[in-house]
Amino acid sequence: MADRARTPQVVLQTRKLKKHFGGVQAVCGVDLSVPDGDLRAVIGPNGAGKTTLFNLITRDIPHDSGQIHFQGEEISALSPHAVCRRGIGRTFQITSIFRRLTTLENVQTALLTHHRRHYNLFAPASRLYRDAALALLERVGLSEQALKPSGVLAHGDQRRLELAIALAGDPRLLMLDEPTAGMAPRERHEIMELVARIGADTGLTIVFTEHDMDVVFAVAAHITVLHQGWVIAEGRPQEVRANQEVQRIYLGQQVARSR
Amino acid sequence: MTPVAWRWLVALLIVLLLLPLVIPAFFVLLLIEIAILALFATAFNLLMGFGGMVSFGHAAYFALGAYTAALLVKKAGVAMLLALAAAPLVAAAGALFFGVFIVRLTATYFAMLSLACGQIVFTIIFKWTSLTGGDNGLLNVWPPPLLKAPAAYYYFTLAVVGLSILALHAIVQSPFGYALKAVRENPRRARFIGVNVRRHQLIAFVLSGFFSGLAGGLFAFFNGSVFPDFAYFNKSFEPLVVVLLGGMQSFFGPLAGALGFKVLETFIARQWPIYWPLFLGIVVIAVVVLLPRGFVGLLEARTWRIGPARRK
Repeated sequence: MADRARTPQVVLQTRKLKKHFGGVQAVCGVDLSVPDGDLRAVIGPNGAGKTTLFNLITRDIPHDSGQIHFQGEEISALSPHAVCRRGIGRTFQITSIFRRLTTLENVQTALLTHHRRHYNLFAPASRLYRDAALALLERVGLSEQALKPSGVLAHGDQRRLELAIALAGDPRLLMLDEPTAGMAPRERHEIMELVARIGADTGLTIVFTEHDMDVVFAVAAHITVLHQGWVIAEGRPQEVRANQEVQRIYLGQQVARSR
Repeated sequence: MTPVAWRWLVALLIVLLLLPLVIPAFFVLLLIEIAILALFATAFNLLMGFGGMVSFGHAAYFALGAYTAALLVKKAGVAMLLALAAAPLVAAAGALFFGVFIVRLTATYFAMLSLACGQIVFTIIFKWTSLTGGDNGLLNVWPPPLLKAPAAYYYFTLAVVGLSILALHAIVQSPFGYALKAVRENPRRARFIGVNVRRHQLIAFVLSGFFSGLAGGLFAFFNGSVFPDFAYFNKSFEPLVVVLLGGMQSFFGPLAGALGFKVLETFIARQWPIYWPLFLGIVVIAVVVLLPRGFVGLLEARTWRIGPARRK
């Protein structure tokens, strides 16, 4: 038991994962290992390969070489919907919801699919998983918006909805690609606290990317730093903060910006 | 559906049942045509309105149904009801065969490949003279005497079309329908809630082909004959126009569209056949520009405008 506590089970592992677009090597042999229950931030300057890495792990785009293991099984050849079925939920950097469906229907559809009811041709769907969907909406703070078309929701609320959609699949691993993109600073903290709370309550493993360093250092249990497709640092927030390479990259970027 | 909608539906049904008693046979025949076109267009709209897939070759499945029914009755001596039951099955099989390839593509490429597959069906029907009669078609495909009178075939069509539309309505409201709308809205997101997008699209394609084939079978016995141009691409644009006129956002749009289309066709095309395409083109442009939600948009827009005003 003591042994297991020291080295918890690895949920997600990539080995020498590579992807290039034309002449650009976006991801250069990334080894990533995420233990069960981790709240992991993947950070790095623009173009570091964060989104590409997310898209590779969820099989949204094919990788060039390397392997992806999820809960000890190789998922490198699965299609996206099969990866989702194995227990990886995700959100996108650019909000991705079903805009002409109501907020409630968005979550209901995710629940119906998760419970493999989506080939049922005759049951009236509006009554199915309604309470479960409302509970999820309550969890992300969208109860009031349930019956509105999701396309008319405020940007921040759409991001919350996407989180609820991802949670509806009852995932073991949640991959959030910049969950706070386009939000005001206060809302960013709110959303990330919500994410951290969900992680703590359910024991869900969460990997997220984020640009706001305040938010990252406030909630992440571990941080992986990507730079030009390479992992250059990894560890607890204070270790990463003290890392000279990381300081150089972020400082360098700031110098470049001020020029 | 709301209780009010149910009441309207029941009222409509009563009117439809009583109509043949008071209107001349010509209009009864027109109503049969409207009902068959409404089924074809509603089946088509399962793909276009709810699945976001625009098929330019749907006449193929209508024709497969029509020819299946006609051939079974004419060449195999099968009873009319059995032949009619086989029509949607053969059409669905055809939709499965072509759909496997078509749903691999999206948007324009989807439309073009569906058009090409439709023309394949047309060519086979046109060239296989020994079986299909080629350009001459198959004549004397009549229902049994019991259903031969216009009113009798009207009630029969009304029952088959009514049940089919109820089934399609149930499909749209079902978990399958919800996931289909999710695929239409955002295929990538749909994949990441666990939907096998291509398989879902293929099932929708087959279901749409099934009901299109049933419409074709009904039409064969209504028309008394079948011809290769049932499968020609001109025929494929008919449900598209009907859906655009009626409104693809609404389940009942194609019903309103079929009514409007056939009424216009009857009164314009028979008077001035040369100008009919010109007239239809103008009507389609007017509807697309002025009524993007189609005929049913008229009703919805009114209730929508009255609603908020009253609240003030």
